[in-house]
Amino acid sequence: MRIKDDTAVHNLGLESFGGGANIVAADAKDGKLVRIHPVHFDQDYTKDELNYWKLTGKNGTVFEPGMKSLTPPFPMVYKRRTYSKNRIPFPMKRVDWDPEGERNPQNRGISKYERISWDEACRIIAGEIKRIHDEYGPYSILCQADGHGESKAINTPHGCMTRLLSEVGGFTIQARNPDSWEGWYWGAKHAWGMDPVGQNTHSTGTAQDIAQNSDAVLFWGCDLETTTWGWGGQLASRMAYWWHDCGIKHIAISPDANYTNVVHADKWFPVLPNTDAALQLAIAYVWINEKTYDEEYIKTHSDGFEWFVYYVMGNEDGVAKTPEWAEPICGIPAYKIKALARYWARHAVSIAHCNGGSYIRAAFAHEPARLEVYLLAMQGVGKPGRISIKFIEWVLFGMSSCSPLPTSKVIPNTAACYNGPLIGQGMESFVPKTKIHKALRGESFDWYGRGTSANPREDQFEHFEFPAPGNKPVKMLWSDNPAFMTSLNGGNEFQDALRSENLEFYLMEAPWFEDDARFADIVLPICTKFEVSDFGTDNDSGQWSAVTYEKAIIPPVGEAKSDWEAVQAIGAALEQYGGIYEGCVQRMTKGKTVEQQVRDGYDNCGIAEEERDWETFKKRGYQLIPTHEGWEDDVVGLTPFADDPDHNPLETPTGKIEFYSVPLANNFPDDGIRGPVAHWIEKGDGHDDRLSSDRAKQYPFLIVSNHPRWRVHAEFDDVEWLREIETCKVIGPDGYAYEPLWINPVDADKLGIHSGDVVKVFNERGAVLGGARVTERICEHAVYMDHGANADVIVPGVGGLDRGGAINLICPTATTSKNADGEVTSGYLVGVEKVDVFELAKRYPEQFNRNKFYDASYGQDVRDYLVEEE
Amino acid sequence: MKCLVVDLSRCNGCYNCQLACKDEHCDNDWSPIAAPQPETGQFWCKMNETERGRVPVVRVDYRPEFCGQCDDCKLLSQAPECVYRDEMTGAIIIDSEKAKGRSDLVDACPSHLVYWNDELGLPQKCTGCAHLMQDGWTQPRCVEACATGALRYGDEDEFADEIASAVHLFDQGEDSHVFYLNVPKRFVAGTVANRAENEVIIGAKVEFINEQGETVNCTETDEFGDFRWDEADEASYQVVVTAEGFDPVTLVADCRGKDVVFDDLLIDQQ
Repeated sequence: MRIKDDTAVHNLGLESFGGGANIVAADAKDGKLVRIHPVHFDQDYTKDELNYWKLTGKNGTVFEPGMKSLTPPFPMVYKRRTYSKNRIPFPMKRVDWDPEGERNPQNRGISKYERISWDEACRIIAGEIKRIHDEYGPYSILCQADGHGESKAINTPHGCMTRLLSEVGGFTIQARNPDSWEGWYWGAKHAWGMDPVGQNTHSTGTAQDIAQNSDAVLFWGCDLETTTWGWGGQLASRMAYWWHDCGIKHIAISPDANYTNVVHADKWFPVLPNTDAALQLAIAYVWINEKTYDEEYIKTHSDGFEWFVYYVMGNEDGVAKTPEWAEPICGIPAYKIKALARYWARHAVSIAHCNGGSYIRAAFAHEPARLEVYLLAMQGVGKPGRISIKFIEWVLFGMSSCSPLPTSKVIPNTAACYNGPLIGQGMESFVPKTKIHKALRGESFDWYGRGTSANPREDQFEHFEFPAPGNKPVKMLWSDNPAFMTSLNGGNEFQDALRSENLEFYLMEAPWFEDDARFADIVLPICTKFEVSDFGTDNDSGQWSAVTYEKAIIPPVGEAKSDWEAVQAIGAALEQYGGIYEGCVQRMTKGKTVEQQVRDGYDNCGIAEEERDWETFKKRGYQLIPTHEGWEDDVVGLTPFADDPDHNPLETPTGKIEFYSVPLANNFPDDGIRGPVAHWIEKGDGHDDRLSSDRAKQYPFLIVSNHPRWRVHAEFDDVEWLREIETCKVIGPDGYAYEPLWINPVDADKLGIHSGDVVKVFNERGAVLGGARVTERICEHAVYMDHGANADVIVPGVGGLDRGGAINLICPTATTSKNADGEVTSGYLVGVEKVDVFELAKRYPEQFNRNKFYDASYGQDVRDYLVEEE
Repeated sequence: MKCLVVDLSRCNGCYNCQLACKDEHCDNDWSPIAAPQPETGQFWCKMNETERGRVPVVRVDYRPEFCGQCDDCKLLSQAPECVYRDEMTGAIIIDSEKAKGRSDLVDACPSHLVYWNDELGLPQKCTGCAHLMQDGWTQPRCVEACATGALRYGDEDEFADEIASAVHLFDQGEDSHVFYLNVPKRFVAGTVANRAENEVIIGAKVEFINEQGETVNCTETDEFGDFRWDEADEASYQVVVTAEGFDPVTLVADCRGKDVVFDDLLIDQQ
């Protein structure tokens, strides 16, 4: 039996930006994908060739990388993602958007679409670009070209358009914010440096250090069984099992019994969302009060500790931050807080993270992030078994020092063939992502910091404004990522901004007709991974870094083109205008074929010439890079700093851990929310989201929105095989698949809610519907709903209603704090009530009945948004 | 004879096994070994999950379920004309070209692992990925996809030592070739604290006494004031907590229906 015709190795990481992860072998037969499965390294390499590593923990327990790729679930279902019913089949135009007449911006998100040809689409787009250039100038075109997406380099899903626009006068770009790192970026960096994102970048050898020396690891808001899946793989899971085998206590601290907790944890502290700072302060209080912190280390390794003591002990505000003070705030009894503090003081304890969640992306997230650094310092961070470790992004931005595991001798990159802007580049004119609402409405505004995830600490003190003097407001939005409303801040306000009169043209390139795409004026169909050839890497598996020769093995689906081809087609249409437009495509592509670009990528990826073999690389489809020689002797983590801080300083001004940040004090003397010393912040800067707040009378729950278990942000919401998994969707009485809303049985009982009920989750910003899942996996007074469900808008905008359960539609637009532009997408107040979905359907008959092709098994269908299918 | 060994202590619940099975069989036609599986609703490899305990001790039991390729397979005896045992793997295979209309086979499997494909008018089940094994593969897709080592596949002889301590689940008989290791038992957990001092009590003695009056486990509260016993049977126990300076407290842990997590036990000094 013929089980395949061809195989290609691709990375199916979803980080984009030219990075990559999750290499797999994909088989095709008769021009269609048949299977996607792990790569078996042992078919191409011996362990010696890879300089195979083994780590040893307590009791001689061994940990090793294995000889196959440790594929997570998302690549397994990529066949369905590729052939999704929701693929954009051809170029489409919003029926009542007429560039020559009425543009009807108020109907974005409401009106339907008609099929147009690529030629017509490119002609209209080129005409609009020319018109906007003439009327407003090039900086009035805002490129929304970031976020997560398929990891491709030549055909990068984000930012090909910037290559074209930079040839014809320039553009404004949305600055990719440090999402998932908010607190660390805006807070922890001011305490211990660790550029660029504020998490520990001195991680070498720390996995083994923990395995040998730690007694416990605090998994603080850490879900390695979820967040790793988009861009890492499952070595993280194996590492957690290894530590268990070494006898290391796994202590989970989070409001939810997340997917890691319910498999790996020995103990769980259910802390209320975004109250970690109170817990941390109480722990510090116990240590100070009982003199159980490392006084000598604090003297030699830190600066400004006395300011912190002054605050914790209540000298500043008359309130000592005792466990009894913290108990009603964080929901953990004082006796348990004291026990945790004393355990931590008596034992070698480390902290583990996996990004995201309420801990780090709630209001004032810079405070818990800084407080964590303070606590680590108080117990001698860098001493054996006392470190902060990550289960994800093991060579973030190519930094091998971020990895707790032995790294390959080269961290390859795709820069030579990458056709988008790297994070932090192309920032001549930019707007912070979290303030895009203002830009779309044509407002003038100012802020501090470029705020991309690639900027150093000092960047946060630079002042900017938009539009720059002499420039005009944004008039066109060119997006290749339709996931803002489901993944970022203030989704409903974003919908309103998209519908503002100011925005004259909204262009979208995307493979799938999701979320923001349904507000666009023109939508272009884009190829997915296996439809295009490319050069890729996999640097985050923790096994070996890899480069991939990713050949196309299926034809484009429908009329899709790659982003790189689509932009060239638009460029070709622009050339008719002559002048700067003439020859723009040639200038952009330099006439290179895809094959030539793959070769460029490989030749310049960082692998030494003598170790490159183009023909073998092409034949195998990938090349692994052996572990670096001498990895056994790598310096462990922050040991040099712990041993000799004067000669191994951190990136802070004093080179030490700063309890008091002089730069924050000097640059923002009036900032009472992110002051020089981390504090408990009750409310401010647009946030009033405590259970003690008056608002809690109307909205009595704190919501947890993690990185989704069965999606990567907005992606994969259309995959049948995922949607039928028990925790993925809840089928309502109307047959619609609702996004689950977890609620504790005690709270559910008070509200008369049962599993399977349709509920409304709401606040002043609007409401989304969900399917109740009454569960012990969430503590009382908190509810849980993953972000990223595909929106199904019933009433658009602020105060609106969404059936899809896109919870970020009702999260705040206000950022982490006034001078910290992080998104606040978890840990805010909501109300929950049971609804009669049939009553709602009567109230909104058109919206509830428009989904003729909708199928609960895969969700929404692009055909429901086309006029000719009516 | 090939077998499948499932180590539940290493199953992280990622569903890779179930998903890889679908990737192999949905949208693909391997007739006569297997016709295409419908996009949803059939689970030739089926992950089951059960939430256990309550705040703050909550676990999820993940238990993947597979066809046992049983020695005494009822399908084989009921329909020898369209069901056969694959020689290489021992997998029971329904010939998709000969079994049209044989809805009776759906009920023949006591484990309910035969599904009816309405569109094709066919009974369908796990094939042990026989089409791949014939092509030189050494593992079925579910096992290949397992990233943690929870699933292992091979000749039964290779696993003899482990099989000795393994059990069958899902009401499969002794003739099943799917073996489970480390099946979790019931747990009982709690925290003991001194109410007046607002401190946990460390080192309190905790005894578990069965209905026959025998002490079946004795432990102490740890540095968090916690006690936990993971080896309980589906039975009822008396739990006696004794701390110096406090009157002993006796609780009832009825583990017959579920795991038991007590409310925090706040006790007063004598």
